[in-house]
Amino acid sequence: MGRYIAKRLLSLIPVLFGVSLIVFFMVRLIPGSALEMYMGTQVEATPQQMLELKRIFGEDKPVPVLYVEWIGQILRGDFGFSLRTGRPVLPDIISRLPLSLELTVLSLLISLLIGLPQGIMSSLGKNPFLDLINRIIGLLGLSLPQFWLASLMVLAFSGFAGWIPMGNYIPFSENPLKNLQMLLLPATAIGIGFSAVIMRYTRNSMLEVLQMDYIRTAKAKGLKKNVVIWRHALKNAILPVITVVGFNAGGLLSGSIVIEEVFALPGMGRLALYAIYQRDYPLIQAIVLIIATIFVLVNLLTDIVYALVDPRIRLDEGGK
Amino acid sequence: MAGKKLKLNAIATTGIIIIAFYLVGIIVSFFWVPFDPVDMDTDHILEGPSFATGHIMGTDEFGRDVFSRIMAGSSISLVISLAGTALGGILGTLLGIWAGYLGGAWDHWMMRFADILFSFPSLLLSIFIMAILGEHTLNVVIAIAIVYIPQFARISRGAILQIKQEEFVRAARSNGATSHYILYKHLLPNIVVPLIVQVSLSLSVAILLESSLSFLGLGVQPPAPSWGNMLSGARKVMAIAPWTAVYPGLAIVFLVLGFNLLGDGLRDILDPRLRNVG
Amino acid sequence: MSDDTILRVEGLMTQFKTDYGIVKAVDGVSFDLRRGETLGIVGESGSGKSVTNLSIMRLIQSPPGKTVGGKVIYDGRDLLSLPEEEVRLMRGKNISMIFQDPLTSLNPVLTISLQITEALQLHHHMGKREAKAKAVEMLKLIGIPDAERRANDYPHEFSGGMRQRVMVAIALSCNPDILIADEPTTALDVTIQAQILDLIKNLSSERHTSVIMITHDLGVVAGMCESICVMYAGKIVERASVDDLFYDPKHPYTRGLLDSIPRLDKAGAYGDERLYSIPGIPPSLVNLPEGCPFAPRCSKAKDICTKAYPPETKFDGERPRSVSCWLYAEEK
Repeated sequence: MGRYIAKRLLSLIPVLFGVSLIVFFMVRLIPGSALEMYMGTQVEATPQQMLELKRIFGEDKPVPVLYVEWIGQILRGDFGFSLRTGRPVLPDIISRLPLSLELTVLSLLISLLIGLPQGIMSSLGKNPFLDLINRIIGLLGLSLPQFWLASLMVLAFSGFAGWIPMGNYIPFSENPLKNLQMLLLPATAIGIGFSAVIMRYTRNSMLEVLQMDYIRTAKAKGLKKNVVIWRHALKNAILPVITVVGFNAGGLLSGSIVIEEVFALPGMGRLALYAIYQRDYPLIQAIVLIIATIFVLVNLLTDIVYALVDPRIRLDEGGK
Repeated sequence: MAGKKLKLNAIATTGIIIIAFYLVGIIVSFFWVPFDPVDMDTDHILEGPSFATGHIMGTDEFGRDVFSRIMAGSSISLVISLAGTALGGILGTLLGIWAGYLGGAWDHWMMRFADILFSFPSLLLSIFIMAILGEHTLNVVIAIAIVYIPQFARISRGAILQIKQEEFVRAARSNGATSHYILYKHLLPNIVVPLIVQVSLSLSVAILLESSLSFLGLGVQPPAPSWGNMLSGARKVMAIAPWTAVYPGLAIVFLVLGFNLLGDGLRDILDPRLRNVG
Repeated sequence: MSDDTILRVEGLMTQFKTDYGIVKAVDGVSFDLRRGETLGIVGESGSGKSVTNLSIMRLIQSPPGKTVGGKVIYDGRDLLSLPEEEVRLMRGKNISMIFQDPLTSLNPVLTISLQITEALQLHHHMGKREAKAKAVEMLKLIGIPDAERRANDYPHEFSGGMRQRVMVAIALSCNPDILIADEPTTALDVTIQAQILDLIKNLSSERHTSVIMITHDLGVVAGMCESICVMYAGKIVERASVDDLFYDPKHPYTRGLLDSIPRLDKAGAYGDERLYSIPGIPPSLVNLPEGCPFAPRCSKAKDICTKAYPPETKFDGERPRSVSCWLYAEEK
């Protein structure tokens, strides 16, 4: 198992390199250099000041060199300085990371709580009409724009104190209950859409599994229906769902960008958005890189969880 | 038999009806809209919906008729989504076919590239691209296309690899032209089915992507109406004029639902395993 | 019903609704099974042999299939009319079944031990530890080496033959009265086939279990069974003891089956070395013609064969014997 993880981690390195390349060079392509924007407010500067400014804004050397420097800095833990605030970028990101992660995890939990039972019930359903209604509701959940749902929630709940953060965010460490209360609505806004995806995959997976021979064997043994479903069917059906969850977790993370904006939550997503509005390269680079890295790591985590649950994969080296 | 199934499939049919409804609205909007979608009318700011004034969905913060803006926005949103999906779909499918067919190093590197693109969640990637390209309507098409390229590439590559296994032996014996023909003849049926389903579902996601981008100010720029930027503008006035937020949102929801229903229904028909047991 | 009879099937009918129409998979099947007897049910694919036995255990998937008629009498009660819950209690305990494909018949994500113990715990109310011990004992009995450790392994870690042995172990672990074996060796290598059949034979004779052996392989039947039912197109066309059937087949279809067996010691049915096969193909079960379903392929078919289905003709003798064929029945 340990070897499997190590091997997978190693294969991640080239991917992460590619990601960093893309991030860096794409950021460089953003029109309207920050230096120009900054200069717009200054009347003039001496040549020496210009040199210094160029160095600060990273415009004194050719781009590939800057890239290598940047990678070097990152590996040392230095993610650069924000062009707007002048402060180091990493601490700001780190301070906001827990919120975004918590939001993502909560929305995942909510979507599982809603989607899994729905999917299972739907696959067993004896009532085709109810099943149809269920599926349409599921598709409806998939069709809701998150930002719209979020906006409506803000509208509906702004009268009730404590449910809408409104800039007064209380972190988990301070007051867990209030914190959860604050994040419940935003997490639901993200989670509803995903619950529809989970419902569909669970349903399809269960339908397939229930057709399998080993289910027939289980019934032939005289096992109770519940046992057949929960012990025999579900454990098999859940496998593709794990894959889907892992693969889409990144979508949940980026969904938080919009939700944080609407609910005015001081999370990483919102930071990324404003960095983009303000062309704050170092900040953009750092955040996008971190989000993409998290995404990649989540995929790895999914594979590991999958290998833990599916005994057929455990002993094989590398699995696939 | 497929036609019979299509008729019987309530889900897909409902989807088609909904989409048709929008298409009619779009076509009509080319010829006539109740009010000018862009013209500001400061005398009639934030009026509630009423049949009497003709503003059946009310007016927004600039006095513009919400319903007309929704109609105009529908063509913009749909065209962008279609164009983006088509562009991404065609490029992605071609890339996937090449990767699968050529195999070897080509395949390896192309898939690596796709993997890297896959490392970015869709919304993040499209926001990022818009930031680079600039907030212009056309660029939304490009952003959507780039997001979709890896997805379509993966599907078509999978289909090619499947047939490659089957036809390879025969193709090895015949000359190059014949193997092309075989691939062509057998590739299309294999690919068409999952692609059609994927296109329908991708369209629904594309519409959501476009509206999210417009909502964030990174997509269609005002005063051109997009459902997304209508909602963005509505945020400030939602409390006193809820219709400015409700109607554009509903417009998005139903069109996306239409494509989702269509895709889901098509999948039911074309992949019998997933139908209800029985 | 004699004291000896443990199962009586009367007029069993099971149908499936398909897009093409109603398939009469089992169309009026009747037979008796005595205690300790091994009965073979022989037929081609699609003859209804598997469906018959799934119907007995009420394991037919309800859409699209349905048992629409007949009786299955076990222990004085008609299984088809009992509430589902009561039938469920009998499955695995009184009547067990093993299936054709050992690769797919075991749950891949559960240990072998669990798949055995859950049956033991359910039917014999054993505690966990007791059941585990019994499971290991059964594994040893069926010849799995290093049983103690291997009990915690998963199905994919066993070979096909071992998996099928596990299936046999599971089925017999609760000492059922009846074991139904649905083509248990079809998916296995020839050498393994013999082992499995021996295992079934030994275990069942030890415990005095009745066995219904479903197969298309006459060789299997010859080695294992005391009596045989031959099925065609959802009906039983001939019933006899093994010896009677092989030495004196009465139904033309049975004769055709026996003639199809390649023989090295004497000339085939054509009188020379050519291999014989029954001409034609089995009928579609959706639109069965009037009369005997075998008639189109039968060299002895008469006019009446296409008009009416022949009644059962019973023969006297020590062992029960009957055939449904106009060659023996009186036309009225």
